Amino acid sequence: MHNRSFFRIFMQTGAWLILAFLLLPMLVVIPVSLTDKSYISLPQDGLSMQHYTNYFTSAEWLWATGTSLFIGVGVALCATVLGTAFAIGCWFLSDRMSTIARWILITPILVPPVVQSLGFYRFWVQLGLIDTYTGVILAHTLLALPYVSISVFAALANLDRRIPQAARSLGASVWTTVISVVVPAAKPGMMAGAIFAFIVSFDEIVGVLFITVRNVQTLPKMIWQGIQDNIDPTIAAVATVLTVITLVLMAVGALRKS
Amino acid sequence: MSNSVLSVRNAVKRYGPVRALDDVSLEIGDGEFLTLLGPSGSGKTTLLTAIAGFTELDSGSLSLRGTDITGQTPDKRNFGMVFQGYALFPNMTVAGNIAFPLKVRKWNSSDINTRVAECLALVQMEKYADRLPSQLSGGQQQRVALARALSFRPSVLLLDEPLSALDKKLRADLQWELKDLHRQLGVTFIYVTHDQDEALSMSDRIVILKDGSIQQIGGPGELYNAPRTPFVADFLGKSNFIEAEVTGGAPGAVQCAAGGESFTVASAAAPATGSRRKLALRPERVRIGAPGAEAFTGQVRQLSYLGERAHVIVTHPGLGEILVSCPTWKAGITPEPGLGVSFGWDSDACVFLEDA
Ligand SMILES: Nc1ncnc2c1ncn2[C@@H]1O[C@H](COP(=O)(O)OP(=O)(O)O)[C@@H](O)[C@H]1O
Ligand SMILES: [Mg+2]
Repeated sequence: MHNRSFFRIFMQTGAWLILAFLLLPMLVVIPVSLTDKSYISLPQDGLSMQHYTNYFTSAEWLWATGTSLFIGVGVALCATVLGTAFAIGCWFLSDRMSTIARWILITPILVPPVVQSLGFYRFWVQLGLIDTYTGVILAHTLLALPYVSISVFAALANLDRRIPQAARSLGASVWTTVISVVVPAAKPGMMAGAIFAFIVSFDEIVGVLFITVRNVQTLPKMIWQGIQDNIDPTIAAVATVLTVITLVLMAVGALRKS
Repeated sequence: MSNSVLSVRNAVKRYGPVRALDDVSLEIGDGEFLTLLGPSGSGKTTLLTAIAGFTELDSGSLSLRGTDITGQTPDKRNFGMVFQGYALFPNMTVAGNIAFPLKVRKWNSSDINTRVAECLALVQMEKYADRLPSQLSGGQQQRVALARALSFRPSVLLLDEPLSALDKKLRADLQWELKDLHRQLGVTFIYVTHDQDEALSMSDRIVILKDGSIQQIGGPGELYNAPRTPFVADFLGKSNFIEAEVTGGAPGAVQCAAGGESFTVASAAAPATGSRRKLALRPERVRIGAPGAEAFTGQVRQLSYLGERAHVIVTHPGLGEILVSCPTWKAGITPEPGLGVSFGWDSDACVFLEDA
């Protein structure tokens, strides 16, 4: 009995420590963003909103934010359409080939980002997509596809195969059947997938560093460059905003699911 | 059949080593209530979905009023179908479900509204037009599925075990309603069930399937009174089986011997003298009486009381156990286990079976 409660305390303490280890670096940017100094530091003589003001009045930061939002929305749209089409196709076939296709589509999650980015770079050079919005949206769409199709697969797992059959027997073409009964069933998965795809794109930096130069400036890239060039605490303010946006989206996704 | 709507010719469907349909040929008459009856796994759903167009046959053909439809997609066949588990569209209301086939056919909206109202009235679901399927009971969902399948006036309605998920009382009510609907609409019904009582009470004709092949086709009375194989005799109601030797006689009065007893069978066809044949004997055709009253003597082994009837198992030294089903209100006898009784049957009670 004594041993067991010791074990429990040990496990619980461990779990909390790991959680703190994961969260603290993220949370430390919040006090830093509120510092009253003009360099990265913890607040000393009081809290200040000056770095937030700086962020929201800097044309460069706002432009980068706009770019990231634009690319994120574009990626969410493209990845959701393609990923849903793929998942629905596989659901209808449901044979060996479609199982293999599902595995292949998941590989972007397994391949190291650097390797993938190198691939994008080599290929995008040939296609003339380097430093273009299209290039970034395309690359991010490929990275986000698995998340969309996995969540649509999950939504379709509950769809009774007789439902599309019923639509067909009632006179609907394959296309009408997909639009009127399969897509509605896939919708929760599509929503979650779109949110995931947006987050994947909004936070992505490795690929962006490889395939953009000056023309396309996303928020993560600008933070990265800001850290290298100077030690302006505005970065901490931006990072805080970014974290909050991501958390809100995750919460929305989680709420939709439940 | 003179006015055949649908014919199935030599249909074969294999799933790996399993022959789900093994050379099935069938003519379905116009306006008929045809039931596909068989145990689970006998190929009923496969045959129905092949007719609907969801299962592609390995070989064989289907034709509708003389036109070949073997390769036609389900949406072009214009058959109504009620699925096992109903398959209502969860994202549409009751009215939306019923309107779906009409919208697909591009009816104008006032015609759709009129027809949906008609169909709701047909299945007495007027009050539920705006509900979602998830807000309905099983019986109500079943009615909506029926209305949806009938709304576009199909010439053939396919039903796959539509009542199997409902409780007994509701099932009986809906059986009557389905029969009424069939008479009222004149639509051809092809009805799948594994429930023999349902098949007997509703059908014009019954097709008995086993392991993907047709065992026998006929009207309920015909199948019940003249089963051709032991499987049919056993599956459709209960039956006693007697191994008998034909000892002589002529068509109409064939002499048989079994278990040291001899008796006459009123069979139109007379099997060759000396051949051994299996006979089916329905329990309700066996009479039971006081010792000496009937031809054979036996002993009561067991009795089970079922309300309007009682089942008695009588043992006979040669014939073995004979199941007797007798009305409880008749005869003054109360067969106790161990009691000596006599039993017998009319000469037309036994039926010769084919070996199978
Ligand atoms: N899609 C399928 N894949 C493999 N085997 C199947 C499939 N559909 C049916 N079967 C097999 O075919 C046989 C007949 O099935 P089915 O037509 O569903 O029977 P029933 O409706 O009479 O219960 C069964 O042995 C079943 O296992
Ligand atoms: Mg079945």
